[in-house]
Amino acid sequence: MDMLLELDHISKIYGDLHAVDDLNLTVPQGEWLAIVGSSGSGKTTLMNMIGCMDTPSKGSVKLEGRKLEDLNAGQLADVRKNMIGLVFQKFYLVPHLTAVENVMVAQYYHSVVDEKQALEALDRVGLKDRAHHLPSQLSGGEQQRVCIARALINDPKLILADEPTGNLDEKNEKIVLDLFRQLHEQGTTIIVVTHDALVASCAEREIMLNHGVLVGEKWNDSDAQEAYEAAGGRPASTGAQVEGAQTGETAIGFADPTKAAKTGGEEVAE
Amino acid sequence: MTNTGMFFRMLFSAVFRRRSRAMMAVVASLVGAATLFCLAMICIAVPQQMNEEMRAYGANLIVTPTSSTTSGDKAGIDSAMVDHTTEMVAAKGSEKHATYRYENVRVNAAPYVMAGVDAAQVKNLNHHWVVDGSWPSDGKVLIGRDIADAIGLKVGSRITIGYRASDNSSSSTSGSTSQSGNDGSTSDADNGSGNTTSSAPSAEGAVGQSPTGGASEGSASSASGTSNSQSSSGQPMQDGRVSSDIMDTSGTEFRVAGIVDTGGSEDSIIYATNADVDKLTGVTRGVDVIEYSAGANDLNALVQSINDMTSMHVKAQQVTKITASDTRIITMLQTLFWIVSLVVLVLTLVGVGTTISSIVSQRRNEIGLRKALGASSSAIGVEFYVESAMYGLIGGLIGTAVGYGLAQWLCVAVFERSIGFNWGLGVASVLLAALVAVVASIPPVHRATRIDPAVVLREE
Repeated sequence: MDMLLELDHISKIYGDLHAVDDLNLTVPQGEWLAIVGSSGSGKTTLMNMIGCMDTPSKGSVKLEGRKLEDLNAGQLADVRKNMIGLVFQKFYLVPHLTAVENVMVAQYYHSVVDEKQALEALDRVGLKDRAHHLPSQLSGGEQQRVCIARALINDPKLILADEPTGNLDEKNEKIVLDLFRQLHEQGTTIIVVTHDALVASCAEREIMLNHGVLVGEKWNDSDAQEAYEAAGGRPASTGAQVEGAQTGETAIGFADPTKAAKTGGEEVAE
Repeated sequence: MTNTGMFFRMLFSAVFRRRSRAMMAVVASLVGAATLFCLAMICIAVPQQMNEEMRAYGANLIVTPTSSTTSGDKAGIDSAMVDHTTEMVAAKGSEKHATYRYENVRVNAAPYVMAGVDAAQVKNLNHHWVVDGSWPSDGKVLIGRDIADAIGLKVGSRITIGYRASDNSSSSTSGSTSQSGNDGSTSDADNGSGNTTSSAPSAEGAVGQSPTGGASEGSASSASGTSNSQSSSGQPMQDGRVSSDIMDTSGTEFRVAGIVDTGGSEDSIIYATNADVDKLTGVTRGVDVIEYSAGANDLNALVQSINDMTSMHVKAQQVTKITASDTRIITMLQTLFWIVSLVVLVLTLVGVGTTISSIVSQRRNEIGLRKALGASSSAIGVEFYVESAMYGLIGGLIGTAVGYGLAQWLCVAVFERSIGFNWGLGVASVLLAALVAVVASIPPVHRATRIDPAVVLREE
């Protein structure tokens, strides 16, 4: 199995604070991974490093075997626009552009603008009829779907979603998760940062961070786990020597991500 | 749609869908452009207006025959030479002129100076003359206030004017060939020495009131028949004295059309039409003085060019008092306006800069997002600079129109004249407004393009 993403002992250090502490993680092509943890646990910092928007203080990030630390700002921007689709909790749509124009912005910076293709992307998320509405004229769920359409438009290999359902009601949450499910079925690698147990449980695999340290990992899809392990994939681990850290080859499971984020995780007997 | 089309679509969306914020930037540029354009228009219009106003107070250049001409048969400057000289003056700028032919005449045997003029020309040249009644016409004369008071004349009165050839012999007029009529001293253009020249034949009745206000050898010798030189000119002697003709009051009767009051030397002169002077003297000849109100930028050069043409047998002189004060006031005004314009330009730059900076700051998230989507700093910079230029262009266009309206209103209110739109200045104003907007946006855009795209994801 090809590893799309390889994190090798990466740390992000701000003064004395280790936002991410010595994390090892491999993510194969087509995996749906959820990163859970409480606020300040380093989820978003980790996501920024994976998304080429931040660089680790230590360690190495490889995307499709390419070391990101060797790339300059322009090359990182190229990796971002060619390989990664970003979905944000607060949507971050350009307020003065319509839904279709917001999708076309991603095309504009990627390659060539194609309005028809942008409309198809909106159609895919069920928003063709709202294509010419401004974000202010759309509901939160609709805005998030525009955000997803924008993330999909350039056929990225990796979708990075930061709390994609954080601002949505249950109905829209379901729509968004269904969209992720479709993308996953089509082979797109998805990494979702979330607080939500339901959202996390939709992923094949979950890892949990606490104060920047990996404290747990569990698989929600045993087939995917077997395939991963068969391909030589190893559990995530950390080199941080703190209590509760998942330092070895054995995964530390957790039952409920929200609860576990608060309690620090629990050992799972294999 | 092409990427260029998308670029402009984003640009127009940013400008027209964010009206309130775009309005702020446009208004900042508008105010700057309006103020600058208005000031610049006034900077250009005021000196022109001042020049015209100053020139309405009389001539700034006088042309007289050279001595070689006057010492002979007193032919004066013939009409062809008047036309030629006028062409030379007109070639250097706008001009107004009036010609004067001076003769010594007698009224009730007392000597006075009479000037043959074209009333329309004199009126056009000397807006400051206060005329009670009307200007001279055939059979009617305009007399100076001093003469009217001395003789007790009023508008409509009759006056008998006598002419004696002996009063106007060449010796009596040799030095009296120039007249300024401006209460201003004249100076040789060559050296600016300020040498004054007399303006007209002095008359006994106007002793010490040479029309230029200056004394010269000419004025002294040009007094009428009472001087010794006059006696040597062949006047009859009686008992060792000049034969008195004091009782000789013969002459031609004219009606007083008007009385001129300038407070200057003009108040001692009788003005009649050229035709009446020709008829009175029985001689048709050229003029003694041409007065010009010349709009040439370099009056010295004009004077020099006329004087260099010795074959013309005329001599040009500046009326330094008018020219110097005119230049000084205009220079002061222009300096003042340009300083104010500079201050306004700086204030505009600060105002537009602050506004653009505020707008860019409000769009930090959008910039971060664009970078997260893969936009390069230069691509974002170009988008914002073009957007700023657009604000500047729109503000500049409206501001220039408003500035023109303001300048027009000011000129009508203050100078009672309208000003034409200066297209060159208008284009410069619009371009400057765009340039100022772009320059003002450089620091905030430069800061914004260095935004770490992670900031938009850093909100947990």
